[in-house]
Order: sequence, then structure tokens, then C-alpha cells
Amino acid sequence: MGIRKSKVRKYVSRVILYGLVIIIVIWTLAPFSWLFISGLFPYKELLSDRTTSWFPENPTLKNFQAMFDMSSHIGQRFVYALRNSLIVAGSVTVICLIFGTLAAYALARLKFPFKNSIVMSLIAIRMLPTIALVIPFFVIIRTLDYYLIQVNANFNFYNTKINLIILYIAFILGFVIWIMRGFFLTIPRELEEAARIDGCTRLQALWKIILPLSAPGLVATGIFTFLLAWDEFVLALVFTKTTNAITLPVYIVSLGSQYIHAYDQIAASGFIAALPPVILALLFQKFLIKGLMAGGVKG
Amino acid sequence: MRRRVGELSSERLASILLLPSILIIVCVVIGPLVFAFYLSFYKAEPVIGGISSEFIGFSNYLYYCFKDPLFWNAVRLTTYFTVVSLIIELILGIGMALVLNKRFIGRPFVRSIMLLPWALPTVVNARMWEWIYAGSSFGALNGLMKVLHIFPADYDAVWLGFGVPFQNIPLVGSFMEWVGASTALHMIILADTWKVTPLVTLLVLAALQPIPDNYYEAAGIDGAGAWSQFWHITFPLLRPVLLVILVLRTMELFRVFDIIYILMQYSIRVMGVYTFEVGMKFLHFGKGSALSFLVALFILGIALIYVKLLHSEEIY
Repeated sequence: MGIRKSKVRKYVSRVILYGLVIIIVIWTLAPFSWLFISGLFPYKELLSDRTTSWFPENPTLKNFQAMFDMSSHIGQRFVYALRNSLIVAGSVTVICLIFGTLAAYALARLKFPFKNSIVMSLIAIRMLPTIALVIPFFVIIRTLDYYLIQVNANFNFYNTKINLIILYIAFILGFVIWIMRGFFLTIPRELEEAARIDGCTRLQALWKIILPLSAPGLVATGIFTFLLAWDEFVLALVFTKTTNAITLPVYIVSLGSQYIHAYDQIAASGFIAALPPVILALLFQKFLIKGLMAGGVKG
Repeated sequence: MRRRVGELSSERLASILLLPSILIIVCVVIGPLVFAFYLSFYKAEPVIGGISSEFIGFSNYLYYCFKDPLFWNAVRLTTYFTVVSLIIELILGIGMALVLNKRFIGRPFVRSIMLLPWALPTVVNARMWEWIYAGSSFGALNGLMKVLHIFPADYDAVWLGFGVPFQNIPLVGSFMEWVGASTALHMIILADTWKVTPLVTLLVLAALQPIPDNYYEAAGIDGAGAWSQFWHITFPLLRPVLLVILVLRTMELFRVFDIIYILMQYSIRVMGVYTFEVGMKFLHFGKGSALSFLVALFILGIALIYVKLLHSEEIY
């Protein structure tokens, strides 16, 4: 009796477990799958009654192709936004990793005055709302651009990629330093000291011993940085206007209006915009989860 | 370790390594912040080629704290948004982690899809849910409600509407009214929670893994039920990671802007949206700066409370 009872119990708990897992999978995948499926709908079918039409009768890749059609206004803006996003997020990632790694090494390994206050101020900066910086940035850049026009300079900051890159680096660098410092602290000091006894300088030890060991950390931090820059919306909204600098988030928000449902375009462009970060995250998931634990959590 | 001939001293090397980063952070973050702090004591408006500014002392701060009802509305609304989101994220996140910590076929796959909502850009998430919530018969949520027979076939809810839910429940209804918690706000909480909860799950999972099974076996032999096992074994071991999640998520939630602005523009005035409206729509730079420092002050206050809680727990 007792054995059979516990067998039944085990069976029931298995069923409940798989039921819960299936709910979790559906809950996690359904919204994004719906975005993709919506992209396959021809526009006419997209706005039909949902009780009957969950899948397109005539599925088409036209919406996705339209995004790359340079002869249309929508397509042209999309391609430029995609290009700008890649350039901005890519440059920000590379620069932040280089400067951030050097600074993080100093904060993790070297002794010097004010070290703790520098670490504390990095944390404090992370607590600030982005909005707190948007206003002074706006005033400063507006004024700078005005003077640049006065002296007939061929350059201005507003609506340029370089301006976005500078602002993003400033925002993300502290975060990179913070996480990389965490990774460096987990590497045993003895390894570095052994290398130094063998005649390496500190920088050689950093290059030959520490960086290879913290490669997973570098990859994770690189992906965080790329995602943060790829995601950023407020600054891009305020400081970009035309195809010269708009990024994908600004493009996607600009689609449609109060009177026009542009959900075919939103679904297609949103899906494409989500691909780079999603693919990166899935490819490097092992590193990422370790990195998430190591210190910085992006919301 | 003794220094070799020709090698830089520790301080020298540190200053060289830190120089580029500190230069960037001082020029592009700390400088503008100091400037914003300065602006917050002025009545500053745009004029050609710059701004006009008139020193008014603490007037901006006093205005928001004592004269502006919209500010306190924003405080209430933001607090509500933060608390409700946090509770849902934590309960769902821990629950999902407990499920995914069990052994089942396909576990690696289920864990890896947890990264998908996290990696999805906020803007895409916002517009994706906007489409799901579409307030006509072609909205996916309305369709789902009808398929499940929760709604009658001819009814379509306006999910992103301004109506306040739970009106017919006496105290809850008036509380919701007082906070200004509209249906739209709750739907935005759902959309944001969808994106963030898997991250909480992954972090909790990572903390659950090192807990050895024999802890639970021993507790089971001692007659501890599932709830008591969770409360006495799992929860104490999760406390550090939960605290990190709590602090970081509170800060993120309290300064929320993107998803609310994208879906509702200025009609749900949480503190982030209100600051943006004052500073960037009406171009009151002084007032906007003062507001953003008040937001920062709230966040700082919350962080301090958490630190204090952490310390008192350590004394135990």
C-alpha cells in the first residue's frame, strides 16, 4: 500500500512539474513568437479578428524584405538606423572594454590613494537616473553647437553618431569598470606574482596571465555593453533626428502614429532589431550567467 | 613585490591606467552633473545660443515639495509601480527558479530561453506588448480572452486605457484612484515584468545550485514539509542574491522611463516621465534639474534603507 501510494504521489508530482515547465515555456516564448508571426502576416490579414486568425493564411516575408528596400522611405530609414546602431554599439563596446579593463585592473590590483573613493563614486553614478544627465547634456550641446556655428566650424554635436558614442561611453564605462574589477578580484594573486618572479612587468602579467584567464568575463562584459548601447533610448531620442544618427530604438518608436497602425512594420523591424542581442545572448549564455552573478545586473 | 629597474611605481601605473576612464567620467558625467546641480537653483530657459538664467535659490525644490500636486502624484505612482513590479518579479522569479531547479527533460533548453526576454531591447518589448494589447478585435490579448470565453464574443477591452480598475471594491478602489493606478499602468507592469522576471529566475537559479540535496533529504527525514524546507533552508541561502536583486531592481524601477513614455507618452506621469516633460518638453531646465535631483534623492534614500536592513540582519 505504502509503496504504491508513494509511486502515485511521485507520478502526480512529475505531471505537475511538467505542467509548470510548459506554462513557463509558453509564457516566455509566446509574446516574442507572436511578434515574429505578426511579421509574416500580409497587412490586410494582420488587422483581422484574432479569434479566428492566429496564423497568416498567406504567409509572406514581404514585411521583412520591405525593411531593406532602399527605394522606400521606411526601408531607407531602417537600413540607416541599423547601420547607426551597429556603429554606435560596436564602437562603444570596444572603447569601453579597452579603457574599462585598464582602469578595472588598477582598481583590483594596485595600491594607491583614493582607491576606495573612486570605487564608491562609480557605484553612486550607477544610481543616477539617466534623465538627470539629459538636461545638462542638452544645454551644453546646444550651447556648444551654437558656438561651433559662430566660428564656422564644419562640425556639430547634435544629430551625430560621435556625440551618441561619447555620451554612451560615459554612461557605460563605470559599469564596465565595476564588473571587470569583480572578475579580476576572482583571479588568484599568486598567478600574477609567479609571472612577475619570472620577469614579467605588471602590464605583461596583465596581458599574458590575467586577460586570458578573464576572457569569459571580457566576453560577458562586452555583451552587456553592446546590449546597453543597443537598447539605449532616451539619449538617442533627444540627440538624434535624421538618418545621419538615429538608432533602431528611435526608428521603431517613430513607426506608426495615432491614426496609422504600422504593426506590420513594427513587427518586422522589431524582430530584426532583437536578433543581434538575442543571438549574442544565446551563443554566450554560459559566460553571461556567470557575468550576471559577478556584479552588474542590467534591468 | 620589489620593483624592477625601469618599472613604474604602483601609483604611477595606476594613474596612467585610470587616466582615460577618469577623464571621460569627470568630463561627461560629473561635470554635467555639477552643472545640473547649479541649474537647479536657477530659473533657466532656452534663448538663442544658450540659456537665460536667474538665481532663485531653493525655489525649484520648494515648489515641487510643497506647491506642486503633480509631483506628489508622481511619487505615489512611481512607488506603486515599483512596489507592485518588485513583488510580482520576486514571487514569479523565485517560483520559476524553484521549478527549473528540479530535474526534467529539456532543462538546458528551458534555461537558455530565459535569456530571450532579457536580451530583447526595451523599445521592441514596449511595442510588442502595445501590439498584443491592441484595443480592437485584432489585439492578441482580446482574442485570447475571447477564445478562453473570459470575454463575450463582441467585447473588446481597452488595455492601455485610463480607467482605474477595482472601482467596485470599496477601499482598494479609492486607493487605486488616489494613486492614479490605471489599467494601462497595470498592463505596463505586466509587460515590464515579463521582460525582467526571467533574469530574476536565472540569478536565483545560480544561487540555488550550490545548495546540496542532502540538506532537503535531512529536513524531509526530520518531517519538514515543502514550505518549511523552503523557509528554513532555501530562503536563508538566497538572502544575499535577493538583496542584490532588490536593490538594483528598485533603482531601475524607480527611474523607469522608456516603456511608459513609449506606450503612454506623458499620460502616465511617473517621476522619470514627469522630469522629462518638465525639462525636455517645456524646456524648464532649472526645474527639470531640481526634479531629477529629487528623484536621485529618493533612490539614495531607498538604497540607504536597504543597506541599513542588511546591516541589522548581519547583527542577528
